[in-house]
Amino acid sequence: MIWPLFKKTLRQNWKLWIIFAAVLTMYMSIMISMFDPESIDAMLSMLDMMPKDLMEAMGFTAEITSLASYLASWLYGLLMLAFPMVYIIILANRLIAKMVDDTSFAFLLSTPNSRIKIVLTQAVYGLTSILLLFVYVFLLGLIMSASLFPGELDVNGFFRINLITTLVNATVFMICFFFSVMFNESRQAVGLGSAIPIGGLLFNMMGNSSEDLEIIKRLSIYGYYDPVDIANGSQMIWLVIAYLLVASALFGLSLILFKSRRLPL
Amino acid sequence: MIEVKDMTLTYSSGKGVFNLDFSLDKGGVTGYLGPNGAGKTTTIRALLGFMKPDSGTCLVNGMDTYTHAPEIQVNLGYIPGETAFFSEMTGAQFLDFMMEMRRCKDRKRRDQLLEMFELDLVGRIRKFSKGMKQKLGIVTAFMHDPEVYILDEPTSGLDPLMQTRFIELVHQEKQRGKTILMSSHIFEEVEKTCDNVIIIKSGRIVNKSDVASIKSSQRKGFSLVVKQPEKASDLFASAGFEVKRKTGNNLEVFISGDEVDAFVKIAATLEIQNLDIITQTLEDIFMQYYREGDEAR
Repeated sequence: MIWPLFKKTLRQNWKLWIIFAAVLTMYMSIMISMFDPESIDAMLSMLDMMPKDLMEAMGFTAEITSLASYLASWLYGLLMLAFPMVYIIILANRLIAKMVDDTSFAFLLSTPNSRIKIVLTQAVYGLTSILLLFVYVFLLGLIMSASLFPGELDVNGFFRINLITTLVNATVFMICFFFSVMFNESRQAVGLGSAIPIGGLLFNMMGNSSEDLEIIKRLSIYGYYDPVDIANGSQMIWLVIAYLLVASALFGLSLILFKSRRLPL
Repeated sequence: MIEVKDMTLTYSSGKGVFNLDFSLDKGGVTGYLGPNGAGKTTTIRALLGFMKPDSGTCLVNGMDTYTHAPEIQVNLGYIPGETAFFSEMTGAQFLDFMMEMRRCKDRKRRDQLLEMFELDLVGRIRKFSKGMKQKLGIVTAFMHDPEVYILDEPTSGLDPLMQTRFIELVHQEKQRGKTILMSSHIFEEVEKTCDNVIIIKSGRIVNKSDVASIKSSQRKGFSLVVKQPEKASDLFASAGFEVKRKTGNNLEVFISGDEVDAFVKIAATLEIQNLDIITQTLEDIFMQYYREGDEAR
């Protein structure tokens, strides 16, 4: 870790974090305030009136029986994946590829710091900012639920859904970061780094919309769990391990790749 | 201090540098010259460890530039050819950041340099002019007082006054025993600063020599207006000089450095109406090398 570099990266990117935290705050507030324990049945019947495939594609599925599963369905099925994804794509590009593309990276390498340490620092910034984003979202959810619907939120279920969403976003970050490290041009890094998560999100929506297309979810990084099931307490230890392994492998690969790569600076 | 041993670095396009071999001893300024696309920046990429050579090695202070880049950077000052800064920073933030990255606390040298180049650090680098950015690059490369400098077109974008300041700075550093490798397009600057030059053409070194001997090998030219141009031209030609007939009674005669005496003696037998010296600049000589490189291929 190189602290001066971490500070520089923070100074450059904290506004981006604030913007996305604000967007997520807005959605969290709207969704929680719209929750009505009295008329959850009424709301479910309203959902039934909507085209079923469309609603399922958006991630609004399954047994919504509590505040936690309601949030899992309405927020964590799509919005808590899509918005952080945009944040991740922008951030990952800024952390490495943009500086290699415009050659300002030469200034980092003209200091007595190894490539490995530089890449490590940038990756740690990215992962930390995602972790903090979800710590914030989790605490916001707890506080808002406690003030609007005291005692309604299953804290354990809500924690579980936040944990898995943090991990899947960390994995998406490592995918984007890997491409940021790999390419000389921002254009290519952002192209591939966004194609994979956006494609993943689309496949996940298609997979949710029909039983026949369920298999297509396996092609998606997002397609290996159902947020409502997770909130309702289904087994997720293997999933946690799998995401950790994939993210760590990409982390390691990024370091190895960048260490030996030719840099046209 | 800087050693390049049989180094080849090629790109997929087939361009690159081939079998470069040169070394710079401690102390002194070496100019690295060549036309665009000759491989100057590629050589510098290898010397900074940005790219690993396909074969051969580059050493700075005895350490391999690719495997020991961070250690070498402690004592190296570098000005990139294309100076793209972290444009979101202000000038002062940038220098502070670079000092922190270098774990360098002494601001004395930095302040001296800022004063020398009259650089005002206020405002975002994004808004800096080309010249201000170049000055910022110079301060960044010199502020930690390193032993070795690798400078890629260090004066591009500077006004003549600041170019002169830069030449002074290079002289000072040379006197303090620093080793400097500097690529340049400005022959006057090379003439004023460099002890040695390396000329590269299409990825290969075509000449290595010291500036003093290049200058002494410089040919001299005279433009003459004479009464009897035919007779004069025959006399000079028979002495082995290169003669060019111009309009009317005007002749141009070129001689090598040690033929001045013979030239003057022949000229004394002629009735001369006017005589001018044609000054051949170092640029002409370099252009000659650039062309020779072409023919050698």
